[in-house]
Amino acid sequence: MLQYTLRRFLSMIPLLLLISVVVFFLAKMMPGDPFAGEINPSNTNPQYIEEMREKLGYNDPIIVQYGRWVGKFIQGDFGKSTVYKKPAAEIIAQRIPNTIFLALTSLVFTYFFAFLMGMYAGRKPYTLGDNLIATYNYLALAIPSFVAGIVAIYFFSFKLGWFPFNGSVGVGIGEGTWAYYMSRMHHVLLPALILGLMGTASYTQFLRNDIIENSRKDFVRTARAKGTKESKIYNKHILRNSIIPIITYLGFDIATLISGAVITETIFTYPGIGALFLESVGRRDYAVMMSITMLLSFLTLFGNLVADILYGVVDPRIRLD
Amino acid sequence: MKKSALWAFMLMLVTALFLAACNNDNSTTGKDKEKDKGDSTKTSETAKNNVVTFGTDQAPEGVFDPAFNGSIVDSYIQNFTMDGIYDVNDDLEYVPNLATWEISEDKLTYTFSFKKGVKWHNGEELTGDDWVFALETIANKDYDGPRFNYVENIKGAKAKKAGKADKIEGIEVVDPYTVKITFDKVKVNNLENLWSYPMPKKHYEGIAVKDLSESKQVRENPVGVGPFKVKKVVDGEYSELERFDDYWKGKPQLDGVIVKVIDPSLAAGAFQNGEIDIMDIRPQAVKELSALKNVRIEETNGVTYSYIGLRFGHRDKATLKNVADFDKFKSKELRQALLYAINRPAMIDAFLEGKAKVANTVVPRAFWTAAEESDLNQYAHNPEKAKELLKSAGYVDINGDGFVEDPKGKPFKILFGHYAGPAAFEGRSQAIIQAWNDIGVKTEQATGTLIEFNLYNEMKKNDDAALEAFFGTWSTGADPDPSGLWGNDAEWNFGRYVDAKNQKLLDQGLGEEAFDKDKRKQIYVEWQKYFNEELPALPLWEGLDLYGINNRLQGVHINAVGFQTDVYKWYVEE
Repeated sequence: MLQYTLRRFLSMIPLLLLISVVVFFLAKMMPGDPFAGEINPSNTNPQYIEEMREKLGYNDPIIVQYGRWVGKFIQGDFGKSTVYKKPAAEIIAQRIPNTIFLALTSLVFTYFFAFLMGMYAGRKPYTLGDNLIATYNYLALAIPSFVAGIVAIYFFSFKLGWFPFNGSVGVGIGEGTWAYYMSRMHHVLLPALILGLMGTASYTQFLRNDIIENSRKDFVRTARAKGTKESKIYNKHILRNSIIPIITYLGFDIATLISGAVITETIFTYPGIGALFLESVGRRDYAVMMSITMLLSFLTLFGNLVADILYGVVDPRIRLD
Repeated sequence: MKKSALWAFMLMLVTALFLAACNNDNSTTGKDKEKDKGDSTKTSETAKNNVVTFGTDQAPEGVFDPAFNGSIVDSYIQNFTMDGIYDVNDDLEYVPNLATWEISEDKLTYTFSFKKGVKWHNGEELTGDDWVFALETIANKDYDGPRFNYVENIKGAKAKKAGKADKIEGIEVVDPYTVKITFDKVKVNNLENLWSYPMPKKHYEGIAVKDLSESKQVRENPVGVGPFKVKKVVDGEYSELERFDDYWKGKPQLDGVIVKVIDPSLAAGAFQNGEIDIMDIRPQAVKELSALKNVRIEETNGVTYSYIGLRFGHRDKATLKNVADFDKFKSKELRQALLYAINRPAMIDAFLEGKAKVANTVVPRAFWTAAEESDLNQYAHNPEKAKELLKSAGYVDINGDGFVEDPKGKPFKILFGHYAGPAAFEGRSQAIIQAWNDIGVKTEQATGTLIEFNLYNEMKKNDDAALEAFFGTWSTGADPDPSGLWGNDAEWNFGRYVDAKNQKLLDQGLGEEAFDKDKRKQIYVEWQKYFNEELPALPLWEGLDLYGINNRLQGVHINAVGFQTDVYKWYVEE
């Protein structure tokens, strides 16, 4: 197992390198640079912009720029944001807690509703309820989260006034107080609900199919023959078996934790990684953009690894060598 | 079947219950929060209501010294927290603020006298030293902000920037309240191009210039002289400003201002809820906002204008000169015909909700130098006149395809480019293309589609052959000098229009005789008439600056510079 893990980690390096090449070149091929938006006849002069481009090395051949970036990146220098004029690592670190908080809350919602719906649908397949659940799931899958976000804001924030519609915390609340944490919770609920409820499809259908499959297995028939109560069969015997494959999904969720909310964060002006990423792309903040992309790439690869290892742990028939 | 339907119903009930429980939870937490809030501001119920919220659609970058910031939102915050030595009034004239000045006989030396008793937020008194410190910092070779062009006209500033001098030669501190500045050349807008914001010298003590822009003193606990001071900054979300009691013009009436980031698609809802009190808005938002009872919309002539640029040549990157070598638009009649063809009032109504005024020059009405409309050819929509002009210039349809050929009889076609953005852009781009096709000038959309904004700017900058005519918008500063945009060798003269009389008039407008204000206006009026006749670019309209303001917020004075004139006079009326 250890050997396998190490091997996988090593094989990540060329993959990450390849990703970095593609992303870096694509980023640089985008028209414009951080100064394109700063053309302002009354405030800046062309010489300053030229000077800064030269200083930041934007005039060098792209290969040279890439080499310089990789060299620094490996040494742990992620570059300096041209927008915030602070190290990219610092800015990202500042935003990560917000994003993780949002992602965890939304995951709780996803799991909760997916379990509820998946168990019901698996128990009563091909009934009206099952079909309704499937319809809802595919609808949620199809509706873009920004549409759902705006609709939710319109109803729950503007019409009903139940939730705040932007930010991660109320204005002027002192950090560390009870009110502060309650306010954070209150602010995260609506985006988390949107993210959570819109993302139930894969879990629900996965669980449903697994339950249906398990319910036809011999041990279930045996249990029925012994007169075990139906609810006990489903909630105990089948569910336990069906949860196992879902656990492996956790691995994939690691990357989603950080990346899942790019658009939703922007709609809710929720200052997390997603909003930061979108902004950095729009303003050509290369250092931040590249750092976030690499972070997400790494987490995706790492998540895959975790998923594979978990398969082995959960199902001893799968050997990792 | 019946049973399963029942099950489904039950499930729905359960889900609904759960949802309700959830919501219940939330509403109670909401109440809790409000209760807590109430507790924290128990001192007075009005305290909370005496704070207004300014909405912006972009996050501040958190650089709180004007010499270092480059973002519009940061400068909004600075307009609350900083004051300059001069101010710009409604007619875009420069008037004394923190200091008054006298100009010497030879017009090279300005003597500034600072007001006494002006306090920084940290209690120190403002002196001329603080301002000189700012000028010296900006001229320092380690300075990494974008504002050197506001200092470079001072004698010896360039030498200091190059590292050849320790101090700027042209600055003399006479006493703590008097500073003499000597400029390189006599120019009428030396003052307009002089850095106006002092820096808190004591506060910045001991920080190297190169570390200043990242220092805590600039980013976390800034010190200004304005009516409000920064209290708390939550990155990417909001900035909380509180009243500065010792403000030199008088104690501000508000307790504080909150600058909050908000997605523009939610602006109307946020206004309705009272979540934001003031925000600059786009014409497209007017309809939605004017339906709200608690919000008023204020408008004023702005300093923004839109135009269609026409290509005359390219920019030589080596010599930094514009070269006129593209002849498509050489005929003045053709250019005039192109403007006669466009129904500008109809476009303003269709695409800008009527919130713009037809422009016939590129000096917006808000400027004191703007020419009277009666002095200018109005170019009212007249396709017949356009066709006549084309004919007289030799652009006639020879081969009978419905489109004119050029005077040499060759096919004639214009490529018109426009950048991508809101839905209205597609419409107005098509309207212009259609208008030109209607008078028989064959016009196609450059690249066949609206062009992504960054790419568009790059294409303009590199004189891309695909952009023969292009839509453009400028927002000028308060300085009436247009030579940065329309001078013969200006980088941002994207049409690469080169003309001796044009440059001569622009130079005159900055020369010695322009120190006489009436004379200067006369020169600029003449330039505008020349522009209006020659049409090196086709002026379309000037935008109105629009602000949505909650009715409870009073005392706001808006003008072409912005909405933040005398913010200490803002007050709340419930």
